[in-house]
Formats: sequence, structure tokens, C-alpha cells
Amino acid sequence: MALQLKDKEAHQRLNYLYQAAHCVLAQNPKNVELARFYCFTQKTIARRLVLRQDPSVKRTLCKGCCTLLIPGVTATTRQRKKRKTSFTVVRCLSCGQTKTFQNNPDYRLWVERPEAQLELQEQAKGMISQNPLRCRSNSSIKVTPT
Amino acid sequence: STEALVRAPLPRELLKVLGPQSGSKAAAFTEAFLGSSLQRPGNHDLKNLLTHKAVILGYARPKKQKTKRSSKRAKGLTAQQKKALKVFQIRPEHQRYELFLPLHDLWRRYVLDLCAGLKPTCSPQFVQQKLLKADLHGAIITVVRSKCPSYVGQSGILLQEFKHVFKIITREDRLKVIPKRNSVFSVEVNGFVSHIYGSRFEQRASERSAKKFKVHGSIDL
Repeated sequence: MALQLKDKEAHQRLNYLYQAAHCVLAQNPKNVELARFYCFTQKTIARRLVLRQDPSVKRTLCKGCCTLLIPGVTATTRQRKKRKTSFTVVRCLSCGQTKTFQNNPDYRLWVERPEAQLELQEQAKGMISQNPLRCRSNSSIKVTPT
Repeated sequence: STEALVRAPLPRELLKVLGPQSGSKAAAFTEAFLGSSLQRPGNHDLKNLLTHKAVILGYARPKKQKTKRSSKRAKGLTAQQKKALKVFQIRPEHQRYELFLPLHDLWRRYVLDLCAGLKPTCSPQFVQQKLLKADLHGAIITVVRSKCPSYVGQSGILLQEFKHVFKIITREDRLKVIPKRNSVFSVEVNGFVSHIYGSRFEQRASERSAKKFKVHGSIDL
């Protein structure tokens, strides 16, 4: 639990940055640069602290230029078909990068599946019980090469 | 019957507006139109071109930009593309103070949430600890002290935080770039005024949440 509490501030910060990007775009839909800056900061924070972002957040950020993808404002959304399977294609208007999602109502992401929740809980339990042990093993590893 | 309709003479009222124009006017128009739409043969021009300039006989298509990476996988932009796109530069037409007031409002709520309500009974140490790791985009900051006197007193909404520089927008709709080094900034939330020593703050906005701060005994500008 201690680990989760420590990350709470960082999660709040990520949340704020994401909201700020939305706020800026809502005020002025042409001010893509500032929204992009906030999303870029959000991405780098998540990368540095090794925090996982929810797929719903990740799917609204451009992988190429970190722009917040809002259909009609900063991105276009089109339906494509290829051999009987249909896709939703989201294209970033500033860099041209595309994201393709298959249209499958039965598909469940890993996070949405019940197994994922179970695994998460087990991980949290393991963290609490093994935390002191882990520190010790880390230090011993560092000593051996010297 | 339709043919007859097409061939029927124009009604008199419309004849003045739609009918054929008088000779001289029409001729002038035709000449101007043909002149602009037709390419001139220009024999003398060709001669000049041949004597003074290299002429490429075979037309080559402009080369397509070769990309080594596959187009489907995203790997971010190269530095060149970033420069061309001006990724993080706020354009002058967007630099208006009132557009960013909702952002400040959002920031205020974020800080209140972060500091658990921020009641007057909170200890200043607690608030400072929280603000150290908090995001400052959207805050109203003021330069309190600086080695350069012209920076002192500048105040506005912080829009972007870079490694060495704060970009703030002032009430007069001007984007100011203020270096962190050798300046002291103040942030005010609900009566709590905290000072930021810019010289100790010189890192990117994203790095701050991961880094630990050391306690320094004395800070000079």
C-alpha cells in the first residue's frame, strides 16, 4: 500500500495535465501546441516514474507528436474495410500518424478482464510482504561484482 | 418541346442584364482572358533562355522522401520535423490572457485537491512538500526578486515550464520568457504564499516529480 500512496501525487499530476490539455483545446481549438506540450509532459512523467496509463487515455494521444486526438478538431476518424473486417482509423491532423482499431464489440482489453484484476491484487499483496526482502537482495547483488 | 424552350428568345427584362455586351467591351474582355489563359509562344524568350540558362530536357519527377522506417510504426518526430512543425511554440494569435483563465481555475482546484482542502490550519511544511511535486502549469506566478531588475514584478499565468525558463502570459496579453536562474518566484494559493528559488529549480517539468530535493542551508540568488 505504501507504494500506491507514494504514487498518488504523480497520478494526480498526470490527471491534471490531461485535463489541462482538454481545457486549453476547449478554449481555443487551434492552440494545439500548448495541449501538445502538456500531453508530452504527461507522457514523460509516466515514462520516468514507470506508471501505466489507462488504454482509454493512451488511445487519445498521438504516438508521433503527442497531440491530444479529438475527432474533428485535431484528428479525423474514418471507417475502413479490409477483407470483411472493418476498422476505425484515427489520423492525426498535424503529423499524419494513424491509429487503427478493429471494430469488434466482443473484444475485451486485458485491463477489462477479470483475470487482470486478480493479478493486480496478488501483485499488491506480494509487494507488501516482500518489500523488506527485496531491498536486501538488491544490495547483495550490487556487492558481488566488485 | 424542350428544344423550342431552349431556342426561345430571352424575355425583354432580362435582355439588358444577360444579353450580349456591346462590341468594344466584349473584345477587351476576350483579349484579356485569352492573354491570361494562353501561353505565349515567345520565340525571343526561348532564344534568351537557350543562350543564358541550362535547360533540362528530360523532366524528372521530384524525388519522394525516403523513409527507412516502416510508415505504420510510430517512432516520434525527428528533430528536423519538430523544428518545421514548431511543436511547442504558442502562436502569437493565441496569446490572449482571458483564454487561459479557465486553465488557472482548473489549477486552483487541482492544488486544493492535492493538499486535501488546504485549510488555514495546514502546516506550511506540508503544503510546501506537496507543491514541490505538484504541477505548476496554470499557476499565477510573480517574480519577487531577481538579479536583473527588469524582471521583478512581472506576473502572469505560467503556460510552459522548460529546463531553464518559465513562459508566462501577462495581463497585457504578452508572452514573457523568464529564466529560472537568479530569480525568486512566488505562488499564491488560498492565502498560502510560497517562494520558489529558480536556481534550485533548473530541471524539466517532468523530471521534478521523480527527483528528490536536497535541503540547502543557505540560498543566495
